[in-house]
Amino acid sequence: MKYVTSTGDESFEIEINGENDLLVNGQRMLIDFRSVVGQSVYSLIVNGKSYEALVQPTEEGLEVLLHGQLFQVSIEDERQRRLRQSTGSTTVRRGEFHLKAPMPGLIVTVHVREGQEVKTGDRMIVLESMKMQNEISSPTDGTVRTLRIKPGDNVDQNQVLLTLG
Amino acid sequence: MFDKVLIANRGEIAVRIIRACRELGIETVAVFSDVDRESLHVRYANEAYYLGPAPSRDSYLRGDKIIDIALKSKAGAIHPGYGFLAERGDFAQQVEDAGIVFIGPRPSAITAMGDKAVARATVTAAGVPVVPGTEGEGNLSDEEIMQIAPKIGFPLLVKATAGGGGKGMREVSDIEELPPRLNAARSEAEAAFGDGNVYLEKLLTNARHIEFQILADSQGNVIHLAERECSLQRRHQKLLEESPSPFMNESLREEMGQVACKAASAVDYLNAGTIEFLVNEDGKYYFLEMNTRLQVEHPVTEIVTGLDIVKEQIRIARGRKLHATQEDIQLSGWAIECRINAEDPYNNFLPSTGKITQSILPTGPGVRVDTGVYPGFEISPYYDSLISKLICWGETRGEAILRMRRALEEYRILGVKTNIPFHQNIMDSHRFMAGQYDTRFVEERFSMDQTSGKQKEHAEIASIMATVVAHRESQRSSQIVRKSERDTSNWKWIGRWERINR
Repeated sequence: MKYVTSTGDESFEIEINGENDLLVNGQRMLIDFRSVVGQSVYSLIVNGKSYEALVQPTEEGLEVLLHGQLFQVSIEDERQRRLRQSTGSTTVRRGEFHLKAPMPGLIVTVHVREGQEVKTGDRMIVLESMKMQNEISSPTDGTVRTLRIKPGDNVDQNQVLLTLG
Repeated sequence: MFDKVLIANRGEIAVRIIRACRELGIETVAVFSDVDRESLHVRYANEAYYLGPAPSRDSYLRGDKIIDIALKSKAGAIHPGYGFLAERGDFAQQVEDAGIVFIGPRPSAITAMGDKAVARATVTAAGVPVVPGTEGEGNLSDEEIMQIAPKIGFPLLVKATAGGGGKGMREVSDIEELPPRLNAARSEAEAAFGDGNVYLEKLLTNARHIEFQILADSQGNVIHLAERECSLQRRHQKLLEESPSPFMNESLREEMGQVACKAASAVDYLNAGTIEFLVNEDGKYYFLEMNTRLQVEHPVTEIVTGLDIVKEQIRIARGRKLHATQEDIQLSGWAIECRINAEDPYNNFLPSTGKITQSILPTGPGVRVDTGVYPGFEISPYYDSLISKLICWGETRGEAILRMRRALEEYRILGVKTNIPFHQNIMDSHRFMAGQYDTRFVEERFSMDQTSGKQKEHAEIASIMATVVAHRESQRSSQIVRKSERDTSNWKWIGRWERINR
């Protein structure tokens, strides 16, 4: 199976030809790769070098925490790549963004109203949790379509607070 | 003299205090809220009693209930730890009125130092320099604050009179920003301490936050255990502390130590306390506040002085004399503490909640971990986000840093996001290594995505690992779709097999 994997500015062509036989950018690599301790901690031995990292799924792909560095990794296999190329769209632009509560807590302030235009980094909501007031700012430019909370509301983790369009 | 202590706290500090009691052969009583029944402090204590629902005001802030439990369980003393009721003079008074020993300062000293405005006035009278601000002005209205602010000059800080730990504190860079920040500080202070009063203080730039640990016994002996460097902060929350400070020299230490003892004596201080100073580049220092309790970061001092501060607190509360004189206090080596918090350093340090699925603690030479969590423990949104304190000792500062780097790498916590990567980046930072940092370092001159020479190699390794994980995951899911060859579950198979062998 062939994959194109990218993180940051780097991109790698990785071909998996069995449990531990890889072709990375055309170079053969024999790996010993397994999960240790918890389900998401992995140990890799390659060319005698030993690495350990946390690999966890995110909404966009996978994130890898290795030696105190966090890598956001996106992976495409051949089929997905061909599918994307044939439909012509290079980057899929998502229409709506649902802002979710990063943790359970109490809504203290709502800085925006429905229909308001916001820019990346604009303050939107103050959420109190763990005795701290946390400001949640807009991750993207857009317009507030629906506002689902008001000050005084208790929210659960991952509850949708508002939708940006 | 008491031989049973109630610990009016939770988390790592409750565990820390229980340990000291055990070493002294003292019985321990824990209290717990709805979400803490399975907490480590409850499991470690000799006795444990239910307090109330999870929110602090219904449980760990219920002084009346705590005193009742102490009386019922015949605990002769109460140790408040830090936070919650630790700096409430009225609570300390109620404890004494109930005939129970409060392990801490006298109620009058807590009240004097607890009201930051009174504290500033008191130490000024004793000849200790303070940061310019609204000292001794009492409680100010919004209108008064708006008038006084320009006289002090911007930038300035709005701070909660009853404050601590950076709560109810806001920075203001001009008069426009003042009204909203004032509101925010007041509401946060009201929520955290039940007191919305604030005062103003000039914000010193390029300043270091250095504090002195004080011990005072009932015979009038006051000593200091040298300094702790606490400049590494984010939003006025300490993240990393070390002792000694890379900024300090012997003569400044002696001078500031004496001033700290003087400030403590000004309020007739008893037990352990901390005098916080701001120190500018020229070594000019200003009194900031006094914390009339055990500090989160007390272990770094314990490690370089060899003194067990919690056991000293208990000795002092038992009316005994300090077992060390100022001359006995010699610093040995260097200690660094990293506060491991349940927060995401890659997402604006937002707190993270959830169940800890794995916790593998670093061990080995020179490593100490103080924690209250274990695998299976749930980090709830009700209390602060401190998971543990990782403390490393080295013969030199360099060795302590290298050891901390090693220990952070060994530490595995899964289930919640932690700030371990932040500390790893700090340990790799050249400015930190050179000891060149002030209270603004984290916010102004530090970034989580620093590029190092290893970045490219690690990007490849990270990509390989992610790809193999994704590949195996898709292989596994395609197998799950296939019907298993056995039509019944393994449990049924075992049942049948056991019946055959009966």
